[in-house]
Amino acid sequence: MTKKYLTFGFLALFILLGLGCEEVPPVLNPGGGDNGGGGPISQQRRQVILEEFTGVRCVNCPAASEAIEALLGIHGERLVAVSIHAGFFAVPYPDATAELENSTGTSILNFLGEPLGYPTAVVNRRKFDGEEGRYTAQSTWPGYIAQELEQDPEIRIDLNSNYNDATGSVDIDADLYVDENIDYEDVRLTVYITESNIVSPQSTPDSVVVDYVHKHVFRTAVTSFDGDALNENLSAGSVINRSLSVTLDPSWVAEECTVVAFVHRGGGSLDVIQAHEIPVTE
Amino acid sequence: MKFYAYIIFVLGLLTTATLVGQENAGRLSGSLETNANFFIRDSLIGAANTPQYDRQKFGGEGWLNLNYSNWGFDFGLRYDFFNNSNLLNPTGSYTDQGIGMWYIKKRVKKFGFEAGYIYDQIGSGIIFRAFEQRPLLIDNALYGLKVDYELSENWNIKGFTGRQKQQFDTYESVIRGLNIEGFVQGDSLSNWTLAPGFGVVARTLDDASMNSLVATLNLYPEEDLFVPKYNAYAFSLYNTLSAGIFSWYVEGAYKTEDQMNDPFGVIVRDGQEIIGDKFIFEPGSVLYSSLSIAPPKWGITLEAKRTENFSWRTRPQTQLNRGLINFLPPMARINTYRLNARYNAATQELAEMAFQADVRYAPSRKLSFNVNYSHIDDLDQVKLYRELYTEVQYKHKRLWTFTGGVQVQNYNQERFEFKPQVPIVETFIPYFDFLYKLDRSHNIRFEGQYMATGDDVKAGAKQDYGDWVFGLVEVSLGRNWTLVASDMFNIDPGKNSPEDEGGEKQSLHYPRFDVYYTTGPSRFALSYVKQVEGVVCTGGICRLEPAFSGVKFSANTSF
Repeated sequence: MTKKYLTFGFLALFILLGLGCEEVPPVLNPGGGDNGGGGPISQQRRQVILEEFTGVRCVNCPAASEAIEALLGIHGERLVAVSIHAGFFAVPYPDATAELENSTGTSILNFLGEPLGYPTAVVNRRKFDGEEGRYTAQSTWPGYIAQELEQDPEIRIDLNSNYNDATGSVDIDADLYVDENIDYEDVRLTVYITESNIVSPQSTPDSVVVDYVHKHVFRTAVTSFDGDALNENLSAGSVINRSLSVTLDPSWVAEECTVVAFVHRGGGSLDVIQAHEIPVTE
Repeated sequence: MKFYAYIIFVLGLLTTATLVGQENAGRLSGSLETNANFFIRDSLIGAANTPQYDRQKFGGEGWLNLNYSNWGFDFGLRYDFFNNSNLLNPTGSYTDQGIGMWYIKKRVKKFGFEAGYIYDQIGSGIIFRAFEQRPLLIDNALYGLKVDYELSENWNIKGFTGRQKQQFDTYESVIRGLNIEGFVQGDSLSNWTLAPGFGVVARTLDDASMNSLVATLNLYPEEDLFVPKYNAYAFSLYNTLSAGIFSWYVEGAYKTEDQMNDPFGVIVRDGQEIIGDKFIFEPGSVLYSSLSIAPPKWGITLEAKRTENFSWRTRPQTQLNRGLINFLPPMARINTYRLNARYNAATQELAEMAFQADVRYAPSRKLSFNVNYSHIDDLDQVKLYRELYTEVQYKHKRLWTFTGGVQVQNYNQERFEFKPQVPIVETFIPYFDFLYKLDRSHNIRFEGQYMATGDDVKAGAKQDYGDWVFGLVEVSLGRNWTLVASDMFNIDPGKNSPEDEGGEKQSLHYPRFDVYYTTGPSRFALSYVKQVEGVVCTGGICRLEPAFSGVKFSANTSF
């Protein structure tokens, strides 16, 4: 009797183990990353936006910033990074030398929902399989970015910036070249201004570093924070133009600022279709 | 949804059939649990900057559980709802509702099966535990099928397969497992028994998770690169030996090479070290043992656990308490008094060496003593947690009961909460609890604790939030009503206490008032609460457990 049970048990165990432990492994392609995204608009490829939510009181966020720089080194122009200082960890230090947090950033945070923890980011604002929401942890960014980069762009974005040094105004001209018929009900264009190399205190694993250099800091939204609707017919071959204008705050350094534009869906899905970034002072 | 509607219809039909056809009556039982929170913004204590405080003002959640048994079948159905709830994410808002769980169970002689959402575990849960913890909104039910067979009177084998629940959806990875458990007894003259068991659980990673993982690995430096596997296996062998006053549980678990996230991983790029999330590929193991000795008047429990690389999740990308396939037993006392429970040693899944001893002695019915000691290090012998808890209880003629003692803790805040460069928090907490029976149905209870913390020399202040004092008065009026008033006061603020506009640390009060009404199986609670905030970081990911300011209402019943 005992022998029968043992036989039964081992048979079940054998079945459970999948009749052996061999499996066909996934194929790795180390050293991946393809930063060839620039050049003429006709050759523009898929570009991905990573919106990181960060704060000066988040000790783990500098490591995430370093990870973003590493990803930018790998993907080059095909990755657009924006660091939005908002939420609990973004409350400024009393001795802050620059204002990094602003109400528009908070509106974007509220618009996308509260993340579970910091550092966190949304990659193309997509909700990936297995994730609870759009926010993703640092370990997953490279994978999701690579996943998004595999897509072809349905729209290509051509940006031109005209900065007036005397007034601080920036005239932005965005041409959207539609490559595939887009029949989403709600499609929007969002344009941000970001600034890099801002020196202001930041909590780090060692201490609060007073001369920490912040990069890709979200400054303002030139459009509505949740995007301006594109009501035109988005059929393949059409070109849509938007002219926008913004005046930079006198405390911002124009040479360190960039224009970030991305086309995305509205409503229930906020998936980004294409992103692009240029310096303010081209 | 049609399927859910069908289940509801079937259950309704069964219920009707039960009510109409009394001669073959089944049994319908259930329970309702619901919470409602009214948020009142108080930026002074940090009760602000979440959707509930800023605009929603209200959040709640509830669970209606129904169980029905008839014709040898057991049916279960649970309706869950979350309206602007902060349970899933303490700083966020979650709204959804639907059938959170259902099951059908049947036993055909020695063969049993269960389909739907399954809650179960193997051994102590080290390789598999599908469980629910509502206060943290953990619901790791396995959505699938379980079968079992009684091999003999004392031996049972079960197998299961399914996917783990993720709110009203499931993760895509497939989990399957097998468990054989038995019971062996000596002859009629012997006093020993054995309860051995063996389990194996396998997880097959879904394609989307694997593709994401591969894309991440493709960007790793060559020295950190590994070829991940879809399938990982965890084995467990366990046994409980009971002999007279002794009960000894031992479990050993091994996990084959598996991809895991190391939150303190180091990646070197261009000569620069980046510390943070990094996928690693290692085998894992856990050894756990618990010895209970119960001579007359004594109760002694000794525990030991060694954990190495045993992060066992439905996908490696999940963090915190998400996607856990297993449950690693905690090795520190679960405290209930407010200040005694302020610092908790979270279980470390990658490296932990822990011991715990609990000794109880009751020389008489009136008097009892309890001493508990926890000792937790990582595998490099870095101190993580120490706790010495003492308790004495004296009951006087059923008129009053006094409980008191002292707790001493060393808490590695840097590791548990990833607060770099902070010293190990040292606490000394004397406490008491005094219950006085006014008459047969009226009681009054007083509770008091004082937490003295060590000095943070570097910061020139008390460690963390500094010293606290807590007081509570509870009055039970008959069988129905209980009134509670308490206050937690930051009597000597520490490094992390809130500051006023002038930069001075503030001594804030956190009062709480509760009214409980109990009638039969139903209990209602209405509370006004101000609760101190805390940033909880696990594995490099920080999570704000926000301060609470507002009114809470809860209603629970069973039928």
